[in-house]
Amino acid sequence: MDNDVRALRLAASLSQRELGEALSVSRQTVNSIETGRYDPSLPLAIAIARHFHRTVEEIFHVDN
Amino acid sequence: MSTTEMTGRQKAIALLATMVLLGVVVVVGLLLREHGPGNMGTGFLGGAGVGVLAVAVVAWRVTRDPDGATTFERAFTQQGDERDDAVLTHALAVLGISAVPLTGAAAVAIGLGADVSMVLALLLFAEILVAATAWAVIVRRS
Repeated sequence: MDNDVRALRLAASLSQRELGEALSVSRQTVNSIETGRYDPSLPLAIAIARHFHRTVEEIFHVDN
Repeated sequence: MSTTEMTGRQKAIALLATMVLLGVVVVVGLLLREHGPGNMGTGFLGGAGVGVLAVAVVAWRVTRDPDGATTFERAFTQQGDERDDAVLTHALAVLGISAVPLTGAAAVAIGLGADVSMVLALLLFAEILVAATAWAVIVRRS
């Protein structure tokens, strides 16, 4: 599943560690989500979307 | 990653559990030294000492800087986030599935006359190897 987390994080001038702290996850988890190796749970996806004031659909894109 | 601090009660329970575990290890070690064959008691105490030291180091690292700890350290100490828990669950699933044929092979080996203690030791090492390999692969992929 593709996502725009990295672009949104950089636009907000946040490090992976800072975003992880805001979401109560580790820096490694943020990295894994950004690189598409890990798909977050629905609650975490919603938390990410809320953090960037977006909807989940605007950030996460299902590959077809 | 859990960002919640342990409560006083949780700390007390953890301390109590640690003391009970250490007590059990020492008692079992002394019993094995007294009644076990060969150097089994000494070996048990030595192995348990290394294990306790490793657990203490992991606990210290996770307490000091959870974000700087490894996925294994966070998951092992129940301080992990959802990805850490997912990795732990997958690795344990691989270990569980592989334990069935490994145990079967060990039973066959014993049935064919292999030394029981050697087969059990090899079984343990094989399971540790499977778990470590599964963990490394899953962490790399997730």
